[in-house]
Amino acid sequence: MPLLDVQDLNIRFTGYGRTAHVLRDVSFSVGRGERVALIGETGSGKSITAKAILGTLPNNASTRGGIRYDGLDVMAMAPRERDRLKGTAFSIIMQDPLSSFNPVFRIGRHLDDILYYADRRQGRVSGAQDRKARILEVLRRVQLSDPERVYGAWPFELSGGMRQRVLIALALLHHPAILIADEPGTALDVTTQDEILRLINRLVAEEGLSLLMITHNLGVVRQTADTVLVMQHGRIVERGPLSQVFEAPEEAYTKSLMEAVPPLYGPRVTDQPVSTQAPIITMTGVDKVYGSGSMLRRGAGHRAVTDVGLTVREGEIFGLAGESGSGKTTVARMLMGLLEPTSGTIEADRGGPRRLTQIVYQNPGTSLNPKRTAAQTLAVPLAHVGLKGAQARARMTELMSLVKLPESFLGKYPHELSGGQKQRVAIARALAAEPRVLILDEPTSALDVSVQKTVIDLLLQLREDLGLTYVIISHDLSLMRNFCSRLAIMRQGEIIEDGTPAEIFAAPRHPYTRALIAAIPVLTDAEEALKPEITDAERHRFLVTSDTDTNEEGHDHVSTGH
Amino acid sequence: MRADLIEAILRRLLGFVLVLLVLSLMIFVLARIVPGDPARMALGPSATAEQVTALQQEMGLDRPVLVQYASYLGGALQGDLGRSLVTNRPVIRDVAEFLPATLELVIITIAIMIVVAIPLGVTTARYRDSWIDNGGRVFSLIGVTIPSFLFAIGLQLLAANFIPGWPILGRVDRTLPIPDGPTGLLLLDSLVHGQGAVFVDAAQHLAFPALALAMASIGQITRITRSAMIENQRKDHVLTLRSFGVPDRVIVFRYLLKLSSVAPLTIMGLEFASLIGNAFVVEMVFGWGGFASYGLTAILQKDLNALMAVVLVSGLFFILANLVIDLILSLIDPRQRRGAPA
Repeated sequence: MPLLDVQDLNIRFTGYGRTAHVLRDVSFSVGRGERVALIGETGSGKSITAKAILGTLPNNASTRGGIRYDGLDVMAMAPRERDRLKGTAFSIIMQDPLSSFNPVFRIGRHLDDILYYADRRQGRVSGAQDRKARILEVLRRVQLSDPERVYGAWPFELSGGMRQRVLIALALLHHPAILIADEPGTALDVTTQDEILRLINRLVAEEGLSLLMITHNLGVVRQTADTVLVMQHGRIVERGPLSQVFEAPEEAYTKSLMEAVPPLYGPRVTDQPVSTQAPIITMTGVDKVYGSGSMLRRGAGHRAVTDVGLTVREGEIFGLAGESGSGKTTVARMLMGLLEPTSGTIEADRGGPRRLTQIVYQNPGTSLNPKRTAAQTLAVPLAHVGLKGAQARARMTELMSLVKLPESFLGKYPHELSGGQKQRVAIARALAAEPRVLILDEPTSALDVSVQKTVIDLLLQLREDLGLTYVIISHDLSLMRNFCSRLAIMRQGEIIEDGTPAEIFAAPRHPYTRALIAAIPVLTDAEEALKPEITDAERHRFLVTSDTDTNEEGHDHVSTGH
Repeated sequence: MRADLIEAILRRLLGFVLVLLVLSLMIFVLARIVPGDPARMALGPSATAEQVTALQQEMGLDRPVLVQYASYLGGALQGDLGRSLVTNRPVIRDVAEFLPATLELVIITIAIMIVVAIPLGVTTARYRDSWIDNGGRVFSLIGVTIPSFLFAIGLQLLAANFIPGWPILGRVDRTLPIPDGPTGLLLLDSLVHGQGAVFVDAAQHLAFPALALAMASIGQITRITRSAMIENQRKDHVLTLRSFGVPDRVIVFRYLLKLSSVAPLTIMGLEFASLIGNAFVVEMVFGWGGFASYGLTAILQKDLNALMAVVLVSGLFFILANLVIDLILSLIDPRQRRGAPA
């Protein structure tokens, strides 16, 4: 008998007089000690499945079908009985370490309340001292070296990686039988994510847990699952052992998912031609220090960029890779002339009437004004270059055809568009003023893989047609490997390595580059074998989120958050 | 203490001093530009021109405005705010006499605001879109739209017609033995002196003026508490606690309430300004005889020194109230202490 058995699960949401059928006849089971992955893109219903199992669906959901835990019918249980399963039968590792703690309560408070009520449901009365001892013990198990400090810390005082560990500790507090992991680590840097996945794997093996891994990242699945379920539009479309699904997928959807993942090594890798044309922007010995002008602390400040020199040539795709807080966004802003360097020079070839740079932001959901239609959004840059009325209208039509959207979409508001369509509108907006260089700030990281691929293909096409130069900022090295013609790796404000992607990936010189590449989740064992060798000591040396570190994301947020 | 914390405090204090300086200069100049001769108004129509000139010279009104301001400021720094032309006493004594009445009214008003608005906000958020929520919405709307003097008059009429024996004018029944000090706040003083009857009487006198004054802000703060609660309910950290079986009431009353009190508290600090403004009117309606009534007389009589004192003290209290709110906020939200990103 499987530990968890889900039979013909159907879920409908009702709201504003409409009903959405979000889960259709979902059946699967998780055996004792088994690791099952639920793969799917946004809206596939994978997180809803987890919520149904946990019993945290919103009130407007109606559920049909059966969920059995250890032979017991969970659906037939009274709420009180069902609550008793929380933390002991099923435990969830929350997805976003940044928002999963109430910012005005200490970490310890969250843990203590959760433990207290879990104890009470078991009919156990525990003293405060006893609870704290147990919490510290669990914090130690998730490799937090100073659990006492973490216990007393405010959420914002911990790095993303540390908070993710605390979330794992939370899930382990009451020795659950099944661990449900909802996209663990995807909000974190790749090296930290790698650590988190290793930790989960180790805990699952050591404590004999079952794992239900929910993710959109196929590379993560390869590391953490034995059985794979592929979900699309609320249905499970393919299932099987990991090797079978990954090596010989049957469904077209599964195949397209696999193909959309940019490869790191092997025959599918694309090499972009290197540009030998004249430089457009040259940075020499550039430093940037933030916040040095305060009243009492003159001279101190946050050093974001140190001695950066780079050249962007006409027609190339220049990649700036690095983890959060590495200074890549600051460099991009200086390239655009939005920030002045503290020292050093930036020379730009301003030949011709065309504007130098425009930017496409990471999240089109927030970079587009929700109260403006696509046409209204495009009208702003067009008015800047002096186009009005019929001329502007004609140019809008042209722009929409460039980004391959129907002209009728000009009248649509952002909420009527999908993520990929929104990003196309954002690209059209950037193109409106006819820039020579387009800065792409994580242009695809808010999108599903399949959509990611179409946006990247569009960008490549546009470069061909319009003779554009790109500067792309990203932490996604597998994307950069295939998209860039030249690549610079940044760490703590410095460029530590640069060259063509082919050179860097074949023989990374800097140990940090090796650590970065080694941490990227890949799809095949063949690729895994081609990754650079790296020792455990090296891996730990370059973790962005070590225990001594404070909140790196915070800094990055400050510099990118406008 | 850390350098940045000291810096932040210094910055605030410097800001306050500047605000008070600008405020005093503005009022000082404004009061002298407005037509009407204070000396003539003080002496009345029957005084001779010589008498008026003499008083003008005594008050220094013949000197340039900025010189007058400088000498006023010099006096103010030594605690001398000049004499009132109406009461013919040092203004500072008038302030000491009239301020406690208004202070008591304002404090009780704020207490009513908190006790009514925050629970109402939490309840309407919890029963969102139900009849409770709609009722709360109508109530808030009434509070925000109807001016406080109407509430004051309405409550007064209500008391006069339907609650026999309920006081509708003044602070306290003058026939009772009114305690002398130490604070001038009747509720507090009567408790200190153990005079239960005075306490009850003062409380009855206070109830309706305070309620009338609170109504406008109650509506506002209810709405803000409600939207903060609803917004925070959707956050991941609520889902975290729910997924691990922490009971709903604990999530709402411990976790959500504390987080959601930041917004209404901030608004409360800003509402303090309109509270003082409304107090002027409500005090008149209830014959309160407090600071606001004093200020109104000062404005109408062009009692320059009294007017300055009223404006400066109100300004000072607005600033102090916001300082206290900031302090409370920094206790609630650790991020505000460190200047970390919110």
